[in-house]
Amino acid sequence: MKYILSRLLHMFLVLWAVGTILFFMFRLMPGTPLAAFIDNTTTVEQQEALIRQFGLDKSLGEQYWLFMTNALQGDLGQSFFFKRPVTEIVMEVLPNTIILTMSSLIVAYIFGALAGAYLAWHRGSWIEGVGIPIALTTRAAPEFWLGMVMLAIFAFGLGWFPAGGANTSGAIFANEWARIFSWDYLSHLALPALTLAIYLQGLPLLLMRSNMLEVLQEEFITMGRMKGLSNRTILLNHAARNALLPVATAFALGIGSAIGGNVVVETVFSWPGIGRLLVNAVAASDYPLAQGAFLIITFVLIIMNFIADITYHLLDPRVRFAASS
Amino acid sequence: MTTTLNRRGILRRTAAIGLALGLSGMAATAQAEGDPVRSIELLSRTQAANPQQYQAAELIAQIWGGLGLDVSVKALPNTQLSDSVWYNRDTWDTTMWQMVGRPERSDPDEFVYNLFHSSTAPTGYNFVGWTNEEYDKVAEQQRLVIDPEERLALITRAQEIVNENQPYAFLVYPTKVFAFDKTVFDETTVVEQPGLGIKNFHTFSNITPLGEQTDLIMNSSNELNALNPFYISGASDSWMTELIWDRMMRIGPDGLPKPWAAESVEWNDDGTVVTLTLRDGMMWHDGEPVTVEDVVFSFTAPQKDMVAPMYQPFVSDITSIETPDDKTVVMTLAKPNAAFETSTLAKLNLAPKHIWEPILDNLAEGESAESVVEETRIGSGPFKYDRWITQQEVVLSANEDHWATPKIDRLIMRVVLNVEAGLGMLRSGEMNFMSDYTGDPQLLIDAADADGDLAVIEGVDIGFQYTAFNARRAPFDDPAFRKALSTAINREMIRKAAWNGFAETANSHVSIALPYWHAEGTDNMETGMDLAKEILTEAGYSIVDGKLHYPDGVTEPFAD
Repeated sequence: MKYILSRLLHMFLVLWAVGTILFFMFRLMPGTPLAAFIDNTTTVEQQEALIRQFGLDKSLGEQYWLFMTNALQGDLGQSFFFKRPVTEIVMEVLPNTIILTMSSLIVAYIFGALAGAYLAWHRGSWIEGVGIPIALTTRAAPEFWLGMVMLAIFAFGLGWFPAGGANTSGAIFANEWARIFSWDYLSHLALPALTLAIYLQGLPLLLMRSNMLEVLQEEFITMGRMKGLSNRTILLNHAARNALLPVATAFALGIGSAIGGNVVVETVFSWPGIGRLLVNAVAASDYPLAQGAFLIITFVLIIMNFIADITYHLLDPRVRFAASS
Repeated sequence: MTTTLNRRGILRRTAAIGLALGLSGMAATAQAEGDPVRSIELLSRTQAANPQQYQAAELIAQIWGGLGLDVSVKALPNTQLSDSVWYNRDTWDTTMWQMVGRPERSDPDEFVYNLFHSSTAPTGYNFVGWTNEEYDKVAEQQRLVIDPEERLALITRAQEIVNENQPYAFLVYPTKVFAFDKTVFDETTVVEQPGLGIKNFHTFSNITPLGEQTDLIMNSSNELNALNPFYISGASDSWMTELIWDRMMRIGPDGLPKPWAAESVEWNDDGTVVTLTLRDGMMWHDGEPVTVEDVVFSFTAPQKDMVAPMYQPFVSDITSIETPDDKTVVMTLAKPNAAFETSTLAKLNLAPKHIWEPILDNLAEGESAESVVEETRIGSGPFKYDRWITQQEVVLSANEDHWATPKIDRLIMRVVLNVEAGLGMLRSGEMNFMSDYTGDPQLLIDAADADGDLAVIEGVDIGFQYTAFNARRAPFDDPAFRKALSTAINREMIRKAAWNGFAETANSHVSIALPYWHAEGTDNMETGMDLAKEILTEAGYSIVDGKLHYPDGVTEPFAD
C-alpha cells in the first residue's frame, strides 16, 4: 500500500515537472502562434484581439498559473487552431494511436521473443547466420521506405489492403467499438501495424537472444538437463521465462516511445494519430494543443511504467520478495 | 526604414574613411564607388515543404552571385518564415513567397489593392513595404469606377507601374494538375474554371456519376481547421464552407460573379445602391425557410467588432440594409465599389439567424464567432454537413431540397498526407477525384497513362510564385537595383528547372488566368545578365573584383 502511494506521488511529481518544461519550452521556441493566421490577419486590432483571445497578453507567470490550475482540474485549454478543447481533440485520435502502437508492439514482441529464443537455441548454426542479418536489416530500414514498399506490394500490387486512412471513405458505424472491431478498420490497420512491427521487432529479438545465451549458461539449466527434462520444457519453462524480464521492460518503455514516435508511419499511411497532431501543433505554435498532447503522452507513459513494474512482480519472484521485505 | 548602427559597423566605417583619406591621391585612377553591398539572405520555404520554390531560390542565389552579390539561401519552416517576413518586417532582405488562387481572387481587386497599397504596408498584405503615390491613386480609383473599360485601363496601369518598379520579381503562375476517374464520372459534367481548375463549386454541383459509385471522394493534403460560416483558416476549409453555406452570388465558370441565392442583382446608376431579390423557396438544412432577415443578419453581424474579423473589411462599406418586402434586400454603400459583387456578395456566407443570433449574443468576453464550434452545421447550400472526423475526412451529403441539387449523393474529402499513396488510391478507387496534388505533375500524367481510366486536367493558377524585395532596406529601396536583380533572372530557365515546365512565366500580379484583366504589355520581360549589369552600371553601381558596390558616396547601412 505504502509502495503504491509513494509511486503515485512520484508519478504526480514527474507529471508536474514535464508540464512545466513543456509550458516554457513551447513559449521559448521561435515563432508566434499568429503566424498561422496570416491570411486573415490584416489589421493591428485583429492581431491584438487574437493575442487577447489566446491569453498571450497576460504575463508568463500568470499564464503558467492558469495552465497548472486548469490542468489539475483536467482542463488542458483550447487549441488556438482548431478552437476546440485540447482533451477532446486528443481523445479523438488517441484510440487510433494506442491501437496501432499496441498491435504492432504485441506482434513485434511476441515474434521477437520467440525468434530470439529460437536463434539462441540454434546458436552457431546456419539458421542464426541467416536470421540475425535479416532482423538487423529490417530494423535498420527507414520506416517511410518500408512503408512505401509495403504499400507498393500489398496495396497497389496485390490489392489486399487499402492504402490510407483508418476507415473506408464515408463508412458509417453504430459506435466507436463497432468501428474499431470492424473488418474495415482492421484491414486499414494491417499495413501500418505491420510496418511498425517490422521496424520494432529487432530490439526484442536481439535482447531476447542475448539474454537466452546468458541464461543457458546458468547452473539451473544444466540441472534441468541432468534431470532429463525435454528441450522444450527447458527452453520455454526455465530459460525463456528468466530471459523475458528485460524484454518486458523494453516493451513497456517501447509503448511510450512508439506512441509519440509514429509520425512517419502515420504520415505514410495517412493514419489519424497523435503523432501527426503533435507535429502540426508544434509547427503552428499551437501551445495548448502541443503541451496538452505531450502531457497526455507523458501520462500514458508513466502509467505504462507503472504496469511494467507490476509485471516484474508477477514474472520475477525475487522482485516480489524484495519489495515486500 | 531602420538603420542599424552597431559598434563594429562604426569602426568599419571609420576605418574606411581613414583609408579613403590616406589613399585620396590614388583615387582618381579607380572608378569611384560606394561601400560593397552586404551579404544578402534569400529566405525560402524548406525543400520538403515546397521543393519547386526551394529549387528556384537556389538558382536565383546563383544568378545573383553573377552580379557580384554574395547570396545565401536560408530555408525556414513555414511558420518561422511567416514570423520573420510578416511580423518582423524590417529584418529581412529578400524572400521567396507565393499568393494562392481563390474564387474571390477572380476579381483583380484583392491583389491590386491589398498587395501594394500603402495602407496595407504597416501590418497588411504589403509586407514588402513598397509604396508609390500614383499606384495608390490607381488602386483606389479602380474600385470606384463601374464602367469595365475604364476599370480595365486602371488595372492595366497598375500592372505597368508594378512592372516599372519591380517590387517583386515575379517568377511563374504554376500549373495546377487535377485528375478524376472518368469511368465513375461523366467527363462532360466537370466544369473548368480559369485560374481554379476543375476543383470548383460548379464541378461539385454538376458532376454526374455514371454508375453505382455515387460518392465523390477527393483528397486534401492538409488537415481541415474549421467549418464555420464566419471563419476560414485554410484552403480545405474554404472548399467545404462554400458547399454548405450558400451566397447571394457565386463566381461563375467565367470568373465573373453571377446571381445565386439572389435571383437578381440590380445596381443604381452611380453604383451605390444594390437591390437583391431573394430566390423563392430556399430552406435551411434544418427545414426553416431562408428569409430576408437571415440575409440582413448575415451581412450586418460581421460589421460589429469582434464577430468575424476576417469578413469585417468586406461589409464595412455597407451603410444601410433595408427590406422593403419579404423578397427584397436593398444595400446602400458609402461609395461605389467595383469589386463589391465578387468581394462581398459572392464571398459572405448566408448564416441562419435563428441559430447564429443566440450564439453571438452569448459569446464570452474576448470571444468571436470564430471560436464557435457547432455540433452540426446548418447552411442552405447544395450540400449538407454529415460529419467531420479529425485528421480523416469530412462527409457532406447532397441537399435534395436545394434548387440546384447535386447529382452525386455524397462528397467526401479525405486527408491524405502521402502524395504517392494518393496516386495509388486514385488508381485503386479508394479515391476518385484528385483535388489537391502536390507532387510532380509528370508522375500523375504517367499514372493516368498507365491506368487508362483517369482524366488529367491542367490549369494555370490565379496565384503566383515570386521573390519579394524588402523595400524598407537599402539597396532594395532602389527601383533600379530591384529591376536589375529581377532582370538577371531567366524566367524560362526557372520555369523549366524548378517547376519542371508545369508553370507559365509571370511578370504581373494579375495572372494570365484572368485574360480580361491581365496586361499583356507586361509579358515577355527582357532578361539577361548583361542587361542586368547595364542597369546597375547606369544607376551608379559597380562591380569591383567580382563584388558589387553601391554608387559613389553611398554607405552600407546594414554592415555587419
